[in-house]
Amino acid sequence: MKKTQLKQVAVNDNQIKYTLANGGVFVKLSLVFMGISNIRYGQLIKGLGFLFLELAFICYMISTGASSLLNLITLGTAEQSMVKDEATGMFVVMQGDNSMRLLLGGVAALLIIVIFVFAWVSSIKSGLKVTNLYKNNKRVPTIIDDIKSLFDINIHKLLLFIPIAGLIVLTILPLVYMILMAFTNYDSNHQPPGKLFNWIGLDNFRILLTSSDTLAQTFWPVLQWTIIWAIIATISCYFGGILLAILISSKGIRFKKMWRTIFVLSMAIPGFIGLLLLRQMLTSNGIVNILLQNMGFITSPLPFWTNATWAKVTILIANFWIGIPVTMLLTSGILVNIPADLYESARIDGATPAKIFIKITFPYIFFITTPTLITSFIGNINNFNVIYFLTAGGPLNLHYFQGAGSTDILVSWLYKLTMENRAFSYASTIGIVVFLISAIFSLITFRRSGAFKNEEGFQL
Amino acid sequence: MRIIGIKKEYLLPILIFGFLPFILLLFPFININESSEHLMGFQFLIKVMQAIVDRGFSLSYLFIVAIMLVIPSIILVASIIAFLRPGMKILYFTIGMYSLELFGLVVNLLSFKATVDAAKFFEVGFLVKYLSMGYWLAFIIVLIGLILSMKGAKVSPGYIVLTVMATIWLFPTAWLVISSLRSEGGYYIGYLIPKKFTFKNYIDIWTDTSHWQYARWFANTAIVAVSNMVISTLLVLSTSYVMSRIRFKARTKLMSFFLVVGMFPGFMAPIAIYYILKVFGLNNSLAALVIIYSSGAALGYYVAKGFFDTISKTLDEAAYIDGATKWQVFIKIIMPLSKPIIVFTVLGAFMAPWGDFMIPRIILGTNIDNYTVAVGLYSMLVKEEINGAWKMFCAGAICIAIPISAIFLYLQKFYVEGLSGSVKG
Repeated sequence: MKKTQLKQVAVNDNQIKYTLANGGVFVKLSLVFMGISNIRYGQLIKGLGFLFLELAFICYMISTGASSLLNLITLGTAEQSMVKDEATGMFVVMQGDNSMRLLLGGVAALLIIVIFVFAWVSSIKSGLKVTNLYKNNKRVPTIIDDIKSLFDINIHKLLLFIPIAGLIVLTILPLVYMILMAFTNYDSNHQPPGKLFNWIGLDNFRILLTSSDTLAQTFWPVLQWTIIWAIIATISCYFGGILLAILISSKGIRFKKMWRTIFVLSMAIPGFIGLLLLRQMLTSNGIVNILLQNMGFITSPLPFWTNATWAKVTILIANFWIGIPVTMLLTSGILVNIPADLYESARIDGATPAKIFIKITFPYIFFITTPTLITSFIGNINNFNVIYFLTAGGPLNLHYFQGAGSTDILVSWLYKLTMENRAFSYASTIGIVVFLISAIFSLITFRRSGAFKNEEGFQL
Repeated sequence: MRIIGIKKEYLLPILIFGFLPFILLLFPFININESSEHLMGFQFLIKVMQAIVDRGFSLSYLFIVAIMLVIPSIILVASIIAFLRPGMKILYFTIGMYSLELFGLVVNLLSFKATVDAAKFFEVGFLVKYLSMGYWLAFIIVLIGLILSMKGAKVSPGYIVLTVMATIWLFPTAWLVISSLRSEGGYYIGYLIPKKFTFKNYIDIWTDTSHWQYARWFANTAIVAVSNMVISTLLVLSTSYVMSRIRFKARTKLMSFFLVVGMFPGFMAPIAIYYILKVFGLNNSLAALVIIYSSGAALGYYVAKGFFDTISKTLDEAAYIDGATKWQVFIKIIMPLSKPIIVFTVLGAFMAPWGDFMIPRIILGTNIDNYTVAVGLYSMLVKEEINGAWKMFCAGAICIAIPISAIFLYLQKFYVEGLSGSVKG
């Protein structure tokens, strides 16, 4: 029984325990000195590699890692100050600690430790494997075999190495860094390098969510508008797009391709150009107001962007221009696939077009597009572009936190908080809130949809 | 009771609606309460005829007479003929006339103020709200008449909706094109159609570097786009191939992890990266931009994975039996079968930097030399600059909109698959 276990190449937990207990001194040594087993049993280069990794890690920890971790806890103690230089009698800047760098260094140290732990575990596994092979008189793979395996059985390690390394350094590290900022007081009053910032726990969440501060007075209305915007924009464009697609694909319409192209054109133009155009069209001296005045419809310009309510409605309507073609394009393909005999029999039974839509077309489309609907809802919660290019959050709202406007949604306010207010702590807090909203919403809905449950089922 | 292609039951309503526009002439047409002027349709018509007699023919007067009298008469005659001797040709003719009348009514509504004010028919400046029931009823009657005659000839009335929507959807683009070709004025001119057309704006945006470095922005974006295209394509294809074909322990965990990371607001990471790069003095550079674009690329593996999923696995297995390694299967079997998705990934990665504003805005800061087209064009529209820069902005926008739109239209099939492909998780 035990023998058959040992023959397997894969290592599972039971085997680890078994081999650790019975594998001999080198296996135990390799818990402390990474790669010893590999060196002992014939994988010299691999073993040295592990050993070198461990040495490098220890050097790093001694030289900077340990102090980085310590600094992560304090975020710096010496504030920048002016000191009188005795020799010249002038005041000079005495460099203090830079909390931002310290935080960054700390996060990097944490990541390096996590990566090292992964390397440590895999070195132990590799050591056990080679021990097993050796003791069972199997051929121990050489470094060349290992490299070859990267192109075959271990191809995922080869192909995913760069993408994941990139992701860790350029997405995970910054994200952790930003997330941690939500627990500090890094705002306009605590700007490094001049000032230090500090850990303040969950205070930002408390201020943002429950206090009577202007931040909370801004957060709730902005959140409310974010949700309203996302719901209305998603649903209106969804139905508008479906109706348009049905109209274009209905029997009597010719030149279907031409009609589709006309509408898809507004998607094809780079988004920022389209949105800037819409913005300029609707300013108080934009072409829409000019034409309306020239034609005698109005005597003074309509406040499309300058009145808060007008601006909100205008954003929702202007969004049709981009949003409706998206659904139209998507549903056009689905409509073709609806079995024609369904319609045939419905017509024979005397169903009206409205009834056919409600009972056949819509349920069919809805079934297929539910995940898209969810994605586009989350997309709209994060729809920075539409808000930023159309109104940039404006018109300014004086009851709000400085800089925030009536049409700001959470992400556009986040952007302003970092770029204008330099209140990174609040921005990060909002970022976490947005993430939580998106994550909770999609977890609930995606988990329910069959597509998510049965991913393999989609494959041929 | 059907003649081929014609629904006879609509002929009588068409005939009835043919008469209605004339009855409308007896309805109130213009009510100016301020100067208590009230005109019925025929009174206004007489006024216009009077003007023709007094001041001679003018296009705008003739236009009013045409839509109030001439075209309705033609429609009436046509609907009588259609009733007596039904046929496709006469119905199509009716549809044509009705469309013309409807179009005329719209154009008239838009140009009425200009005509009436120029002719000085009234003492006060004309406003659309002075138009009374007669005019609005004419709209409704002509619209119904058009729908009836379309139904009679079995032409889908959906064309009306599509035409109206297409006009609205094309308007912004048309305005962009018109503005880019305009010779006179800055941003604000009080009318739509330019008095003089020119290509000068297109020449200026490329050659006049005194104010705006469009050529430079274009080159910057091209560099970023091409680098991103190469790196992202490699990353996306290898990630999606592994996720689709290789079964390894951490696979599902990794996929959930990608999903979760993708849910953070898109520019949270770039903001942090900006400050991280600043520590190393690497901010404001194009390289930083390429790095950021390609680092996130792997997260968008869904579409390509969905495509790989549809390639039958029996192909792989056959190759393994013949002794192929997984690398060989990837390169020699899957890749040649995946040309469409490679094209999609390549062009998609190439397109992204042209339309993206947010990330370069954050990363490039105030370094105007490294601006990409999006950031540069946006900077032309700030309040202080817009009047001088507007026409050039339009020209510059078109110069990138045409190639990007062409690529998009070419890729739209994939885009649809991409939207539904995300289903496949």
